[in-house]
Amino acid sequence: MVGDGTVRLGIVRKRRTIASVAVVTVVLLAGGLAVTLTSGSGQATGVTHVDGNPSAVLYPAGHRAQVPDFSGTTLTGTKLNFAGYRGKVVVLNFWGSWCGPCRSEGPTLAALSAKYQGSGVSFLGVDVHDSPVNAAAFEQDAGIKYPSLNDPGYAVALTLGNTVPISGTPTTVVVDPTGHVAGAVFGPVTYSVLNSILTKVTA
Amino acid sequence: MTDIRAPQDAAEDESQLAFPEDGRNAVQASAAAATATADDGDGAGAGPAAGWGWFRWAWRQLTSMRTALVLLFLLALGSVPGSILPQQGQDPAAVQNYFNSHPALAPWLNHLGLFNTFAAPWFAAIYLLLFASLVGCVVPRTFRLAGQARMPPPRAPRNLGRLPHSESYAVALPPVQAVAAAAAILRGKRFRLRHPAADEAGGWVSAEKGYLREAGNLLFHLALLGVLVSVAIGGLFGYKADKLIVEGQTFSDTLTALDEFHPGRLVTGSDLAPFQLTLKQFSASYYTSGESRGQPSSFDARVSYSSSPGAPSRPYDIRINQPLNVDSVKVYLIGHGYAPEFTVTDAAGKVVYDEAPPFIPANTGTFLSDGVVKVPDAAPDQLGFIGVFVPTGVTAGGILDSAFPAPYNPAVSLLGYAGDLGLNSGLAQSVFQLDTSAMTKITSRPFLLQPGQSFTLPGGRGKITFTGYKQWASLAVTYDPGQVPALICGMLAIAGLLLSFLVRRRRVFVRAVPAAADGERSVVTVGGLARTDASGGFEDEFTELVAQLSSGEATPRSIIRAPRGAPDGKATTSGAQQPASHDSKTDPGA
Repeated sequence: MVGDGTVRLGIVRKRRTIASVAVVTVVLLAGGLAVTLTSGSGQATGVTHVDGNPSAVLYPAGHRAQVPDFSGTTLTGTKLNFAGYRGKVVVLNFWGSWCGPCRSEGPTLAALSAKYQGSGVSFLGVDVHDSPVNAAAFEQDAGIKYPSLNDPGYAVALTLGNTVPISGTPTTVVVDPTGHVAGAVFGPVTYSVLNSILTKVTA
Repeated sequence: MTDIRAPQDAAEDESQLAFPEDGRNAVQASAAAATATADDGDGAGAGPAAGWGWFRWAWRQLTSMRTALVLLFLLALGSVPGSILPQQGQDPAAVQNYFNSHPALAPWLNHLGLFNTFAAPWFAAIYLLLFASLVGCVVPRTFRLAGQARMPPPRAPRNLGRLPHSESYAVALPPVQAVAAAAAILRGKRFRLRHPAADEAGGWVSAEKGYLREAGNLLFHLALLGVLVSVAIGGLFGYKADKLIVEGQTFSDTLTALDEFHPGRLVTGSDLAPFQLTLKQFSASYYTSGESRGQPSSFDARVSYSSSPGAPSRPYDIRINQPLNVDSVKVYLIGHGYAPEFTVTDAAGKVVYDEAPPFIPANTGTFLSDGVVKVPDAAPDQLGFIGVFVPTGVTAGGILDSAFPAPYNPAVSLLGYAGDLGLNSGLAQSVFQLDTSAMTKITSRPFLLQPGQSFTLPGGRGKITFTGYKQWASLAVTYDPGQVPALICGMLAIAGLLLSFLVRRRRVFVRAVPAAADGERSVVTVGGLARTDASGGFEDEFTELVAQLSSGEATPRSIIRAPRGAPDGKATTSGAQQPASHDSKTDPGA
């Protein structure tokens, strides 16, 4: 450790250590920055947007997730099992009478459910975080005739889990006759967007 | 082997005996002696040459203790606006209010990112630089410490008498055997030994103990890195969410059910633990007398939960500092309040509302709480009520107030409105606020209700009944995968720090020289050196050690064998060897 050559070697090694530590740090920082900038931009493959609407998506056949089965009691007290809808296109709408956007899309859903009645399309509401009395009063006001599951604890959303990224109410999921997710609208639906999805899925 | 290279000992520099410094940019003492000017990294005056030199200079500056301290101070300073000014992430409404009340100043503050301090680029720059500074300091130090922990003791200095501790004794053995005997004893006492190399002059052994000090130092630095990594893991993969839940309600840990969700950088909604939780009952008890009258004495949220859909449901009591743990997700109790329950019958005689909306405590001492009731499906017009709930109602001078936080005399005071709630416009609304811009007041002054009482609304609009009250609890759902590693690393860091403080590194050197011409007797000198012997104790240890060495010497059977690579006795004890200069201490008679 004392000879002149050893000292020189020490300096070289020291310089190399500094360089490697610096490089590792820079790489870590760059990596962290990259993760920061790109997180959340992940996109499922093959997804198309409906009429250029970023919150309405269609999943092509082969990229459709299977909806797990769930059951519950409707607002009117009837037992209901989702498996019973197999063979039909199902419009699954998550809503609450307390939720402004849900109230505004209510009449649209009522109109579309009437239009598609008898075309192999069933509408099913999932009323979340609500009081059945308030919910029934709203359904009557909005003219909604199709059934809704009483789901105060968001159990259906939990069961669906990763099949559809439900981040809030309202969310509308269109399920194909084989029980797979064919499309979804995140936020309130408009007549044209949901109509366009249903036209494509029933075609 | 007869080549006695005594002059080589002259290379033994005193500086090599000194222990490496403990300073942040300390370099090994031996290297420091030769390269003192070039390698003093902390020196701001070290001028860069060009290119690589600039980079090295900048890196030195960044990783210096001074820069780290300045960055730490800036980090603290930078957090100040985050706690003084309203923040976009926590309270967007307050930010809007601030914009309204400071129209000139607010846009400037906004340009500086002061309404979103912790996400501002300059704030990120501070903590990223601090992180780089810490890593850049700790990593090279770790390598250096690892080197130090493996380093053998230095050669024995020529004159042991100059060391802080030294003793001599005479033995009836040739020098090589005397040294071997001492080495055996030292090895038995778990000293790390260094013997002369094959081409060196013999007659000495160096021993060092207390390498745990360097190991502790190393552990401390590695644990410090571990803490940084743990915090990063927590920030990337952890999340925090809030949920207000009324007694009897259930919520699922899924994105749509949470009131607020603050995910880590690499967390999406699908990473949430799929548990379900029902608040069965919430109770709070309060001191009813004494100085702390009205202060809470305990909280208890009785819940039942299932860890995944379909899993069996289990009961649990969430209390302060007793969170529920579901699959390493923790559910803390962070707040509570009252939710008065109402039913509303509209003009057509239909029950259009039956709910217990949570009211927010306006006074956390008495739980006087504010809230609203929205009845969007009443005929002919939507109804809305602004209300105050008091758990222990008292009326003083015509003003309703609460005397105690527990529900001894619950009452609500309501003010009624009719018109358009604005809910059907499709915009999301706060459930705690009533937009009365398109509504008219239907009661000229507030009306008071106690549980079970009803109020008939004027104009035949129906009636509202205060049916009772429930309590609500506010829960924080947190997942921090870095918490346990950070705790473990923190404890390891403390353990390492203790080791490095408590363990002394001490060196003992033994030299033997022939006492007589026949080489059958020797004078053995023992020198001792301790680092940071602030707590004392080495002197006693040294005295005891010398006593053992000199007495162990008396029984030649304890000699195991001559050390590897040591020159044989005859060669060493030949007259060619120059005896070390003896001072009076080495005299056997002393």
